[in-house]
Amino acid sequence: MIIVENLTKKYGEHTAIDRLNFHVRKGEVVGFLGPNGAGKSTTMKIITGFMAPSEGIARVGGFDVFENPIEVKKRIGYLPETPPVYADMLVRDYLTFVAQLKGVEGASLKTFVDRAIEKTHLGAVQKRLIQNLSKGFKQRVGIAQALVSNPEVLILDEPTVGLDPKQVAEIRDLIRELRGEHTVILSTHILPEVQATCERIIIINHGKIVAQDSLANLSTLKSGSRRVHLKVRKANADLQERLKALPGILAVVSTSPQDWQIDATESEDVIERVASEVIKNGAGLLEITSARADLEEIFLKLTYGNEAGGLA
Amino acid sequence: MKKIWIIFRKEWHGFLFNPNFLVVCGLITAVLSWVYPNALRAFKMQIETSVYAGSLPQQQLNIHYGVFLRHLSFINLMLILIVPALTMRLFSEEKKMRTFDLLLTSPVTSAQIVIGKYLSALAAIGAVIFLGFLYPALTAFFANINWMTLIVAFGGIFLVAAVYAAMDLFCSSLTESAIVSYVMAVVFNISVWFVGMGVDVVDSPAARAVFEHISLNQHLSGFVEGTVRTTGLIFFASLIFLFCFLSERVIEASRWRS
Repeated sequence: MIIVENLTKKYGEHTAIDRLNFHVRKGEVVGFLGPNGAGKSTTMKIITGFMAPSEGIARVGGFDVFENPIEVKKRIGYLPETPPVYADMLVRDYLTFVAQLKGVEGASLKTFVDRAIEKTHLGAVQKRLIQNLSKGFKQRVGIAQALVSNPEVLILDEPTVGLDPKQVAEIRDLIRELRGEHTVILSTHILPEVQATCERIIIINHGKIVAQDSLANLSTLKSGSRRVHLKVRKANADLQERLKALPGILAVVSTSPQDWQIDATESEDVIERVASEVIKNGAGLLEITSARADLEEIFLKLTYGNEAGGLA
Repeated sequence: MKKIWIIFRKEWHGFLFNPNFLVVCGLITAVLSWVYPNALRAFKMQIETSVYAGSLPQQQLNIHYGVFLRHLSFINLMLILIVPALTMRLFSEEKKMRTFDLLLTSPVTSAQIVIGKYLSALAAIGAVIFLGFLYPALTAFFANINWMTLIVAFGGIFLVAAVYAAMDLFCSSLTESAIVSYVMAVVFNISVWFVGMGVDVVDSPAARAVFEHISLNQHLSGFVEGTVRTTGLIFFASLIFLFCFLSERVIEASRWRS
């Protein structure tokens, strides 16, 4: 449904995201996890067609966001960091306007607006001016506008910010409900949120993907196997084949030209064997780590752990 | 076309339910209701004097020249200040409140956004000019007036206001601050009147002809006298197109900058 290849965005000298590669299947709920400023919002803005990438491509439903922005935008519901609400409109009028803007017409218009209001529990405030609503309600109106046209793809940038715990739980339930029917990408830096809602996680730091896998694989690796994260200076073409040929190696996946994920059977000397192979290959071993059990630990390791001095 | 209509309707509702627009209309009505009867009274006195003395030129005894043209130039002066107030929030507010994200991620083109917003600005300006038109029109109860001349003259002022609206919409697209947009727009509106001053400055006939053609005053004066010239229509239409096009480019460029 969503294909991102070598996506790069530079703001002048600063590189916000650097050659991202990932795919999202139809009906999947994917969490975009990363510290503030990691490039989550930038990636989302590019996928929605709000912003043009410096390099690389992004496709939604088979349409390139750059070549065919209108087709892509018809299929997307987007909640930016700040909910894009008009303060001087009534909740219901606003949702109707958004639905029309997204191309909903005729009889389904009212049905769609009613459904969005119902799903986000806005019924009590639908006749009120948005400027008079609390932050939590505004955020819910923002979610409702993303849902209102019943889009195939939902892109939610920190959807639960500003909500109280009960509302957070409601929104998480809502996102879980959407699974299967809609493809959802949501960004957050709140770990329990991903654990509660997402099937797959993409962890991003300093504009690079540092890990992407299903929640199950990331947090509790299947017994009898282990995952090794490898970082090399310069991969030779045959490195993947050579690593695969090693005894006890199950799979080798490259997440970027420098980063590799290796699944291996549970044995003590896997790391040793991989390391010596990499060195023999002349690829320049930079880092080799064994995957952790706890999501929070993985997150901290992959993000803050890379910085000089690490996390105190 | 449908998308333009949706954006137009939303902005037009914004005008109608926004106190600013109603306050502007109220103030205009208050000012004109004071100025216009006074102009009429002065005109009446002039006629009475001329009946006794017979000294005034014929042209000044015509109500179109004696009253309506002053009324029009007064409306024009107010439009220079009012049009920016109506257009200033059209884009800058969207940028500031981040609602621009919604428009730019919806299946509408930049051109549709600009045209929808521009038409809503025209509708609001049309309402303001209609208020101004009521004064001469109601004079018809006790004076003979030439309707076509009057309508063409107001059509001319509407076209000038449409040029202001296009320029001011462009100003609004450039900034996030409504105040900056307002000030910039007023400067644009005023300066466009001074371009024609080049006629008095240059010597070469070719340059004079160019200045005459780009002078807003030159083209408007045809309209206020009741003549519709295609050069005038083309001049106004090209200015409107130019600035709407520039706004569209600015919107499109925001995808690349930010």
